[in-house]
Amino acid sequence: MSLPEPATRNPRLETTGRLLLVVGLLYLFLVGVKALETGINAFGEDFAASLFEGVSNPIAGLCAGVLATVLVQSSSVSTATIVGLVGSGALSVLTAVPMIMGANIGTTVTNTLASLGHLRQSQEFRRAFAGATMHDFFNLLSVAALLPLELTTRFLSRTAATLADALGGRRELAVEVSSSPIKDAVKAPVAVVEGWLVGAPDTVIGLVLLGLGLASIFLALAFITRNMKMVMAGRIEQSMNVVLAKGAGLGAMAVGLVMTVAVQSSSITTSILIPMVGAGVLTLSNAYPVTLGANVGTTVTALLASVAAEAPEALVIALTHTLFNLAGIVLFYPLPALRRVPLNLARGLAELAVRRKSAVAGYVLGFFVFVPVAGILLLR
Amino acid sequence: MVFDFFRKQGEGPLELIESQIGDMLDHCQVTFGTAMDTLIGGVDPSAVGTELRKTDREINRAERAIRRELVVHVSVRGSAVDIPSVLVYMSIIKDIERIGDYSKNIFDLSNEGIDLSDAPDLDRISGYRQRIDRLIVDTARVFAERDVDDAHTLLQDGDDLLDEYDLIITEQIQSDRPAREAVPRALLFRYFKRITAHLLTVMTAVVMPVDRLDYYDEDKADRE
Repeated sequence: MSLPEPATRNPRLETTGRLLLVVGLLYLFLVGVKALETGINAFGEDFAASLFEGVSNPIAGLCAGVLATVLVQSSSVSTATIVGLVGSGALSVLTAVPMIMGANIGTTVTNTLASLGHLRQSQEFRRAFAGATMHDFFNLLSVAALLPLELTTRFLSRTAATLADALGGRRELAVEVSSSPIKDAVKAPVAVVEGWLVGAPDTVIGLVLLGLGLASIFLALAFITRNMKMVMAGRIEQSMNVVLAKGAGLGAMAVGLVMTVAVQSSSITTSILIPMVGAGVLTLSNAYPVTLGANVGTTVTALLASVAAEAPEALVIALTHTLFNLAGIVLFYPLPALRRVPLNLARGLAELAVRRKSAVAGYVLGFFVFVPVAGILLLR
Repeated sequence: MVFDFFRKQGEGPLELIESQIGDMLDHCQVTFGTAMDTLIGGVDPSAVGTELRKTDREINRAERAIRRELVVHVSVRGSAVDIPSVLVYMSIIKDIERIGDYSKNIFDLSNEGIDLSDAPDLDRISGYRQRIDRLIVDTARVFAERDVDDAHTLLQDGDDLLDEYDLIITEQIQSDRPAREAVPRALLFRYFKRITAHLLTVMTAVVMPVDRLDYYDEDKADRE
């Protein structure tokens, strides 16, 4: 028989188990951010300052954000790490802003790579590659428009600081950090590890905590994404079917946002769109708002990470990330003429990619590897 | 739609697709019944033609919707997707859609002026109409319930039906009846045969592996 038999497992029990596991993984994620922050602090202020001296140039910082995200294939991991670094005081908000923007660009490599699966079918590939690269172009255009503005006026980080104050985050954090039960719970395991390392040189303590922190962030986010995708797969399917039936709009954007918050990965959301766009069941203009929603949804990870961080600036940089993505939407969504810009650029690149396959390799390697590496090397 | 995201999940995506397949078969029963009413029941084709075509478009729309939903299902589940089920659904919706088309072909006979409501072989034609009508209902039930035993029985009965249609078609081709009488009957039983074969193919999904799905779409002599 080819058809599935009725399920014998209890799906509700399985879902509950997975959700409990996700709660545990979220705790591990926050512990990871705390360990990273403590590890950086253990190196001493001078070391931390010298470590990020190279990326004090905004373009170098942008390139570092792109490259780091491409390497870990997750903007959630890289932005959470940046938040941890800002929380430790190793990175200033000013230095971290271009890195956060770079992480936004770097995360688009995943769905671009996913579109390469359609390479053999020209028509499919044309649609799939355009579907993937419209995200690249949207992020690139947002950075091109907003980074110079931020560097000259600091309007994003200042608004984020005002918001953080309004939320009570900065004031409370600055006054009485230890009063938060979440922070206490997150500190405890890090303190245990520190206890084991009593008497060891600061560098060893720093390296161990840094390694544990990065590993915890990476593993926790990877397993949160995997489990939440399994738990939410049915809902995601239903929502995508609604997007297909009702078309583009704010509803589609909200679907992208909620899906990404649920699975804690914009790459999952945007990569799911690629086969649908490639098959032609989802148009580029209907996939666009889902992608923009995913861009905003992914900023929740950095906001979560800021919960574990000590310094109030961690919340500021996390909010800057959210504001940057919202500002990008304000720029490149409401007005049809501007909305078409990233879509048309993506269509143009896809056209070129179909005619010359070498352009695909040139684009992926050049845009995501060579340019960021060159940027870091030349501008540090 | 966003707030519904985290609420209790209703039917799973594949259950939803199966329910749509059930709806498609219901629509097929309606189009087949309407077409036969015009051919042997004395119903004026012009009175029901619009409604019949509308129902057939519903079948076509459902086919396209299910295909889209299957693409979404594969995209979302990735490597965890139930590949055989997706292939089965993709294949059988085409069969069901064809049933709608053949019903429309039957309607076209009456639309061309053929009226068998007073024909001497009305009882025979009526009998086959009822058997096909029952087969549509049974196919939907067997498919929904995964009733393997009933599927085997119905496949055997359906196979016998195909033989009977072949005999009638041969009888019409070799008869001395005027073309205006023989041709519509040959065509009608040819359509009956195609509708039955497509229904049997849907039923094979319950008992056979993916690679044997179109088994009943072939003449016996051509089957491996």
